[in-house]
Amino acid sequence: MKLLELDNLQVSIGPVQAVRDVSLSLAPGECRALVGESGCGKSVTAMSLLNLMPPTAQTNAARWDFAGRDMRQLSEREWRRIRGNEIAMIFQNPMTALDPTQTIGSQIAEPLRIHKGLSKREARMRAIALLERLAIANPAQRAAQYPFEFSGGMLQRAMIAMAVVCEPQLLIADEPTTALDVTVQAEVLSILRELRESSGTAMLFITHDLGVVAEIADSVSVMYAGQTVETGSLQDVFSREAHPYTQALKRAVPNMENPHRLEAIAGTPPDLRHPPKGCGFAARCCERMAICDQLPPNFPCESTAAHQARCWLWHPEHPARWRESEQ
Amino acid sequence: MAMSVFRFARRTWASADLEQIAPVPLPKMATPAVVLSSLVVVALLLFVSIGPLVWGQDPSQQWLSQISAGPSGPHSVRLIRDNGPWQPPVSEPPQSLVVHDANTEFVRLQWPQIEGVRRYRIYRASAHKAGLGLAIAETDKAYYQDQLQLSYQIYRYTIADADSGLLLLAREVRPEAAISLFEAQLQGLVPVGKSGRQAKWLEMPGHPLGTDALGRDILARLMAGGRTSLFVGVVAPLLYISFGCIFGAIAGLAGGWVDQVAMRFVDFVVALPFLLFMILFRVAFGIGPGENGIMPLIVAMLMLSWPGSARLIRGQVLALRGQAFVEAAKLAGVSTSRVILRHMLPNVLPMILVAFSFAIPQAIFTEAFLSFIGMGVSPPTTSWGALCNDGIKTLLSHPRQLLLPALFISVSVLAFNLLGDALRDATDRRAGVAKA
Amino acid sequence: MLKFIAKRLLSGAITIWFIATATFFAMHAVPGDPLTQEKAMSPAVRAQLEARYGLDKPLIEQYQLFLGNMLQGDFGISFTQENRKVNDIISKHFPISAILGLAAVLIALVGGVAAGTVAAYYRNRWPDRLVMIGVIAAISVPGFVIAGLAQLIIVAMNNAAGKTLLPVAGWGSVNHIWVPALVLGLGTMAYLSRIMRASMLEVLNADFNTAAKAKGVHGLRLFWHHQLRNAVLPVVTELGPTIAGVTTGGFVVELIFAIPGLGRYFVQAVQQLDYTVIMGTTVFYGAFLVLVVVLVDISYGLIDPRIRLHGGGGR
Repeated sequence: MKLLELDNLQVSIGPVQAVRDVSLSLAPGECRALVGESGCGKSVTAMSLLNLMPPTAQTNAARWDFAGRDMRQLSEREWRRIRGNEIAMIFQNPMTALDPTQTIGSQIAEPLRIHKGLSKREARMRAIALLERLAIANPAQRAAQYPFEFSGGMLQRAMIAMAVVCEPQLLIADEPTTALDVTVQAEVLSILRELRESSGTAMLFITHDLGVVAEIADSVSVMYAGQTVETGSLQDVFSREAHPYTQALKRAVPNMENPHRLEAIAGTPPDLRHPPKGCGFAARCCERMAICDQLPPNFPCESTAAHQARCWLWHPEHPARWRESEQ
Repeated sequence: MAMSVFRFARRTWASADLEQIAPVPLPKMATPAVVLSSLVVVALLLFVSIGPLVWGQDPSQQWLSQISAGPSGPHSVRLIRDNGPWQPPVSEPPQSLVVHDANTEFVRLQWPQIEGVRRYRIYRASAHKAGLGLAIAETDKAYYQDQLQLSYQIYRYTIADADSGLLLLAREVRPEAAISLFEAQLQGLVPVGKSGRQAKWLEMPGHPLGTDALGRDILARLMAGGRTSLFVGVVAPLLYISFGCIFGAIAGLAGGWVDQVAMRFVDFVVALPFLLFMILFRVAFGIGPGENGIMPLIVAMLMLSWPGSARLIRGQVLALRGQAFVEAAKLAGVSTSRVILRHMLPNVLPMILVAFSFAIPQAIFTEAFLSFIGMGVSPPTTSWGALCNDGIKTLLSHPRQLLLPALFISVSVLAFNLLGDALRDATDRRAGVAKA
Repeated sequence: MLKFIAKRLLSGAITIWFIATATFFAMHAVPGDPLTQEKAMSPAVRAQLEARYGLDKPLIEQYQLFLGNMLQGDFGISFTQENRKVNDIISKHFPISAILGLAAVLIALVGGVAAGTVAAYYRNRWPDRLVMIGVIAAISVPGFVIAGLAQLIIVAMNNAAGKTLLPVAGWGSVNHIWVPALVLGLGTMAYLSRIMRASMLEVLNADFNTAAKAKGVHGLRLFWHHQLRNAVLPVVTELGPTIAGVTTGGFVVELIFAIPGLGRYFVQAVQQLDYTVIMGTTVFYGAFLVLVVVLVDISYGLIDPRIRLHGGGGR
């Protein structure tokens, strides 16, 4: 039984088709990384999963189930019960995502007050306890302080505390380490990993940093131009990458074997106001074929059942498949 | 397996269609609001400059026969030579209330003696209003001549018994437009002294916006008032912004203790309660006999309003001083005055322009306010604010006299504000483009 | 915090001294003096009066005398209103101006915050357009015109109702306050709603607003705890100058609505060159404004923790 099943999510904001086809699934306790360059629709996907897109945005999905419920049918009232309670979110920049006029403690305690109906006192005690668990010294005093008195790493820990305080089933982390120093990044990652192990929360970890992915994720979805182009386990995607985009992405990351050769991906992502007719990556792809410009690769194109790539190269009739199977 | 679906393309790096990065669109100045407000400003300037020449009426000419009259076109009026005391001709007493003569100089009434009544009370009301109206006189005679502020409208006269209050007779009267010989001579419509035969009818100029409480043509006064208002509104900011800029530039360029002292002084001037000191300074400079009071007004505004632009320019100069191109110019041996003129001035000029365009409506407001409380220009010079001051006295009976000048103030302030907004947006975006 | 307040009060005191000095010399630069306005009087009487008011002494000595008395809080006796102490005039008429000003500021604050919030929530839709048109109108129409219009409307209303719903002018009851205060506060309200709209738009687009929603915060709690508190900060900084504008701008409204406030006495005093009343009211207003600005700064610190804890450095 999957916790989240999302099939063909589409979000358009005015003329921009920010998300064109995102399909994701998460098992309870699983950590899935959603990887892609900036502007590819990762954050829009995250916000849509909380139904927090502005009213001007149009959201559609072929299937959108969470914990056995059809999320497309939920009223705003029901959504409120879910946000912060069953699905919580960690934001990218803790400096701006925490309210500057409220104490850290009250901000962490707020979800408890709303969802669990705890008294002010009780909620505060729980918040302090959580801060202590997240290795913040003097948690009682710290809880009474304001965001501007915290350092970046501590703020992100407070942000995490705010997200996990209600023990959600799904935690969406939207680039939680991007705005932080490298040393603090490691710290935050280890906290997240620990949390996941101790509480069994499923996590959707959004990032553009492949190194971070390797450290925390069980499975990976790669996004490009508003679509998930490759989905699979960490090993599948990292060592048997199937989509040319993933391959290009990997070549753009420094590695030990070949520290001096880095390849940038030539070109820019397509304009999502007028997405290309065929494959979104075709214009930058080194494996481009004529059909790539003509038809989108919308078919279940998989190398194995759990490892899928949205690419004509993986079409059953593609000659390369013959080659591979011969090997 | 059929391969027809596939036609393999060359395996090359597809040429990246590098999207042209759209240049930041330069501000579109000619929005409908800007065009409209520019037209309004031009129209206002024409109104106050050419207007008086075209219209040609004297804004201080008082028409005693037309106090607070409504809008009227050119019309002819009867010339009344005899408006002294009156007695009805001795003949048979009338059967009812009769009107011997009715014009806007006098209405002559006669009625039959009624037995048992010792004194009559005469009421007068506008015909379209209910009630008896004003009790204008009491008399023991059976006739009366009404000369009390008659205007060109239908009246209803009611005769009552003064003792018992019993209503006796009533009648509606429509006086015809008239002018007395005295006033006609005063206005120069009729030569003085010649008591010979004169025309019975006179042509009167029209008042398209009516007249004020002293019988002066409102249109002519609006033109004359606009001159003052716009003059003060443009000249005062011009002076105080120039002064502020020079002050701020000196402080910013000199730096050090000069800057410190200068800015402390600016702080103090800013702390002065503006309107109180406006009034105080305005009085301190005084108005001699025969002066119009515009100069003291401008000087007072100059003394109190300059700190804003001084602060602005000082900040800009300080910021520019630290910038690379100014340093570079200095290192290249460019003289200080040239650095200021060629490198700094072009950078602060747009800001000064914006400050100026916002200062104009501010100054129009200040002038209007001071004139309104009687601390502005002195009569016979007038301004829109002074017209409002005149108008508020007759607000309840003739709202037009306040609303017309108020409309002119509001429209001009609005137009200048919109222009200022557009100008600010334009310079903001220019700065944005320069940075990007 | 205490140090901050003390510093502000000290610079306030210097400001008041400057205001007093400027007023004193500006006033004495006016040709004539209060006594010349009276009917012709014999030189002996005049000398006597001059001695009584200290006008016979050199200007510098008069100035010293004035400063000494001012420090003791004594502004002397009015020239034109026989035997009336300036302090009595202020204490009798200032409360009226203060009540009017306070009501105006409250109306402006509540109305401006509400209008700005509505405009931001409905950005570019008709409520926003309506508010912005109102703002432009209120900024472009002079206060005395609005006052006049308000009176016309009251009269029309009373006529239509056939009884006195609201008094047209005067002072004395709660009903006398509403309309003048609204008229007085209207311009400020427009100004504040502009600021409020901008800052509320910023808050609505801020990360912490989204983050709060992601926590499940919604409705009034979201508005009150997260949006309003942050958005109102720039409005509070504007409050000091605003109160200054409203209190000194009050005298037009006082004149038109025949309210016996201090502003009217000031205008009268300037016209009659009543030295002591001018000095007294100017210094009093100056001190009042300095105090208000300090109070506003303190209240700003109460809302924004960053300033409270840094002792007021961060503005």
